[in-house]
Amino acid sequence: MLNRYKVLFAGAALIATTVLLLSPLSALAQATAAPAGSSQSTTSVSKDRWLHVRVISSDAKGETVRVNVPLELAEKVLPAIHQDRIHDGKVKIDNAHVNDVDLRALVDAIRTTKDGEFVTVQSNDCDVRVAKQSNHLIVHVLDKQNSKKSEVEVKVPMKVIDALFSAGKDELDLVAALHALSAQGDTELVSVKDHENTVRVWLDSKNITD
Amino acid sequence: MMLLAKAALTVGGTIVLAGAYAMREGVIRIDVDEYRAGGSHVHMWVPAAAVPMVLHFVPTEHLRHVSCDARQAMPILHAIVKELKKYPDTEFVEVDDHDEHVRIRTEGARLQIDVDAPDQKVHILCPLSTIEDITIQLEEHGPAA
Repeated sequence: MLNRYKVLFAGAALIATTVLLLSPLSALAQATAAPAGSSQSTTSVSKDRWLHVRVISSDAKGETVRVNVPLELAEKVLPAIHQDRIHDGKVKIDNAHVNDVDLRALVDAIRTTKDGEFVTVQSNDCDVRVAKQSNHLIVHVLDKQNSKKSEVEVKVPMKVIDALFSAGKDELDLVAALHALSAQGDTELVSVKDHENTVRVWLDSKNITD
Repeated sequence: MMLLAKAALTVGGTIVLAGAYAMREGVIRIDVDEYRAGGSHVHMWVPAAAVPMVLHFVPTEHLRHVSCDARQAMPILHAIVKELKKYPDTEFVEVDDHDEHVRIRTEGARLQIDVDAPDQKVHILCPLSTIEDITIQLEEHGPAA
């Protein structure tokens, strides 16, 4: 009788260990089978803010680059980088005078100014427009040289620029800028179009590019 | 005969249990193929749980040496992995041209890196928790530790 219980117990133990072994193996099988089958990532629409970069080249190689970065991840990782000019999420600039332009003074001036056009250049070669509009700094350049036009549009929320210059003298606070950016709604930050490349940098709540 | 069966059951059960324990965190998969004369061909499947365990047996001076070499990268890697665990499966980087493809993505709490080029193919799959464990251990053996 006792032997029968022992055999029963041994059998149960064997079944239990087999199940234990098979459970990670089945997960492993799914893990190896999944990459081939799933070309799309899970779409996440949440409070997370994602910065997307997309570069599409129309040259012979037809290169495409897609980068999707959660802003919170960038905020947490940047302070861990200590290399050259980047320390604690801040990047050192030699001095705030770049090509004899006092950047900080310029930003202060733009911040306090009402909406309007600051620079408008129209020539045969190119059109340039720098403006402040709905609390965004907008830079638009249309290069008309050659027969192939190229167009650059940069649209940065003023709060992001403020945050960027909120660090000490001669420093740009990247983490503060990212934090300010994460508070913004869905927005396109950079758009570049020329005859060879299309570049788009934008912000939304999705973890995949369109 | 009964004694032999019991012994076989014990050994078998132990092997199965040890296997199940070793595989509980999945596997680290590394495939490298270099298509040139003398190129490397590496194909490795390692139980992820075994790696941090094996690190305990690596002599401290060797670990310290590795930690010194990677001291700048370790905090960054640790911060990235810690954050990546919070997000759903995502394709973080995708580069395609007509004959080269690079993908960096997370899938099921694993980091997957795929490089397909005419001269080489690299496929790496590693559980994020394993990378985190390794970075923690290497940081503990770092110069400041």
